[in-house]
Amino acid sequence: MIDTTNATSLLSGYRVLDLSSSMGAFCGKFLRDLGMDVIKVEPPRGDACRTEPPFAKGHANREGSLRFAYLNAGKRSVTLDITKDIGRKLLLDLVAHADVVLETFEPGYLAAHNLSYDALLDKQSKLILVSLTGFGQDGPYAHYKTTDIVGNAMGGLLFISGDPSMTPCNPPETQSYYYASLFASYGVMLALWQRETRGIGAWIDTSIQASMALHEHVAFNYSAEGRVMKRAGSQHQHNAPANLFQCKNGWIALFVSQNHWPILLKVWDDHDPALDDPKWLNSNLRRQHADYINARVTSFTMRYLKEDFAEMMQKNGIPGLPVNSPSDFMKDPHIEARGFFSPVTHPVLGTFQQPGNCFMVDGKRTGPSPAPLLGQHNDEVYRGELGLSTDELTTLAAEGAI
Amino acid sequence: MGPTNDILTGVRILAFTTGYAGPFAGRLLASYGAEVIKVESKKGGLDTFRHYGQHQDIDAAPRFIECNLGVRSLALNLKHPIGARLIRELAGKSDAVLQNFRPRVLDKLGLGDEDLRKSNPKLVIVKLPGFGTEGPKSSYGTWGFNLTAFSGITYLWNHPEQDRPIGSQGVYPDHLGFVMGPTMMVAALLHSRRSGKGVTIDIAQIEGTAAVLGTTYLESSVNGDDPKPKGNHYARAAPHGCYRCQGEERWCVISVRDDAEWRSFCRVIGREELVSDRRFANLAARLAHRSDLDAIVQQWTQAQTAETVMTKCQSAGVPAGVVQTGADLLKDAQLRHRNYFSPFTDSLIGPFEIPRSGFLFRRMNEEPLKLPNRFGADNERILGELLGYDKATIEQWRKGEVLT
Repeated sequence: MIDTTNATSLLSGYRVLDLSSSMGAFCGKFLRDLGMDVIKVEPPRGDACRTEPPFAKGHANREGSLRFAYLNAGKRSVTLDITKDIGRKLLLDLVAHADVVLETFEPGYLAAHNLSYDALLDKQSKLILVSLTGFGQDGPYAHYKTTDIVGNAMGGLLFISGDPSMTPCNPPETQSYYYASLFASYGVMLALWQRETRGIGAWIDTSIQASMALHEHVAFNYSAEGRVMKRAGSQHQHNAPANLFQCKNGWIALFVSQNHWPILLKVWDDHDPALDDPKWLNSNLRRQHADYINARVTSFTMRYLKEDFAEMMQKNGIPGLPVNSPSDFMKDPHIEARGFFSPVTHPVLGTFQQPGNCFMVDGKRTGPSPAPLLGQHNDEVYRGELGLSTDELTTLAAEGAI
Repeated sequence: MGPTNDILTGVRILAFTTGYAGPFAGRLLASYGAEVIKVESKKGGLDTFRHYGQHQDIDAAPRFIECNLGVRSLALNLKHPIGARLIRELAGKSDAVLQNFRPRVLDKLGLGDEDLRKSNPKLVIVKLPGFGTEGPKSSYGTWGFNLTAFSGITYLWNHPEQDRPIGSQGVYPDHLGFVMGPTMMVAALLHSRRSGKGVTIDIAQIEGTAAVLGTTYLESSVNGDDPKPKGNHYARAAPHGCYRCQGEERWCVISVRDDAEWRSFCRVIGREELVSDRRFANLAARLAHRSDLDAIVQQWTQAQTAETVMTKCQSAGVPAGVVQTGADLLKDAQLRHRNYFSPFTDSLIGPFEIPRSGFLFRRMNEEPLKLPNRFGADNERILGELLGYDKATIEQWRKGEVLT
């Protein structure tokens, strides 16, 4: 079992103001996982992510969104209406004590509320502003509206996703948001390094489309070879068998390279002797005859449970793995032994298994924390850290700013 | 003129990488100024992508070039005792190590974490093993494709109610790994700079992959459900999906999230009477009559180009986007505006353009990307200038199969 206590926190001491919607929430989460203090600054009615499904059963309310619960795990929450003058001033006070501001507003929104990058720099001269939008801060599509599927479409991943006989198929959850969020996180790391070495802040302009367009060599293949990639289900472009194959109780993802092919034939002792022809050593030829090859391989995989087939392949050095459902994955002994999931207790949702950090530091993992309730840390942050008085807090509340 | 984006200038990273995720992580570090020294050997230690495709020249495999832009090359036989010794010396002159070999491959060569830290206690080590360094399946062979399957993503990446999984031909876990890798690398370097101590970071690619399915796992653990594939459906928007347009394999996605967007959309398609149609009165009603709605949308989209559909919808504030191909990306006006593609006019594989990064630094200058150095091109500089060996010694090692 892996030690999940006392893992080194890499970046404790840095503070992030997370003004993002669900588009950038995964960036805030990753920064939190790295040890930074991430304060979610929500409008008084709550971040829109709190209204997004899936919900915990019986909790279709602003504390019940599981998307919010995962993407905001470990963050603190304060409420603040930055469109009100009093709220804007309070945000600037927060900025003075922050290292990073993360935002996903439409380009120009912050400037229109007198919160431009320069206005923020006036409060914190080395500030790192990380903006994340569908297409970037300027350009012909800068004001285009984005959703996850729009990001995947415009970035080129959707066109190659799914079965060729069907409509292109979006991946689960909101992968284009997550992927852009990862790039934004890398941008923040670079900007912090720059701040340490050059003494300046930075404004990171992250684009969901630009992040997605790095996927799967789609752009490079066309530019370098004039090749337009198309949908092919799970069939690999250049190799066979490299696909999903049916087993007794499900499916296995199998990838048999040139080196693995003779090993597969050896393990598969009653294979069709026609497959022994040395010409089949050539992966490209096997790919050209993928239907022929795949049908024969299926006759073999069909005899096994997917877990047993995977085990047999791995014992022989062939990288097969079962196609798991999410709960299969959670129950896998390897994942359990690594302590990837641990229980957290949330005041509304109860106790449940949640992923901890997806990386280890010196062999130790930091386990998960619950997401904050709306405004849970108003008092702690505004009174305790900014030093506001009870009267000031009352005024803010009366004006609907917090 | 602002500062340039070569932020990591002065950071030296030794890279033991092969395939997609590890090398590309190195490329993303080199793109921002790090000196990334990739260590390979013709004695059984070449990056597998050097043989990808039909090229005989190991420097001319397109996919190798794509993943290793800006990276330097040290040809060194790690299985030779002198080779391993030179790496330990080099670790003393470096800030970090990046590696995606299987667990314990480097340890067996005398290049484990502690061996490397002897000459440099501040050394940062970032590893990207498929299944992690520990655990009953840590020796398993993994691949982006089968990690996707193991995580649950393949199962969910499908239209509803299908009798078989579809998934993707792609290697999403590699894409996650090659951004998480450099992110963790710089985070660890920041930590090491502050604390004066090195750290070892392990990013099991399977867990990096699972990190983008966390909401689904919560659905399973909180609600006790096993979530099913949703395809292009989304419970907070209708119409929401991918619609066929004029021409072969031309598609546009459209997301209508609320009543305001719905009213705009009805105007765009010239069907304002639908605004008062009770089947579509609000989001719940539109979701309930999704198939009627999809038929109406499809009828409109199929009569025009995907570009027209996108432009008309977006002009009215309705989220929409062309399902772009590789060819579309290269001529995309927005990506061009961002100077997204770095051009190469002269390379071993001819001219090409390549995506840079998901973000740019505003008010800063972007350095152009560089080609990978040829195999072994940096041997003399590294061993001579950096480690101080004379030409005769280097020549002797070259003949003695150390530098190969």
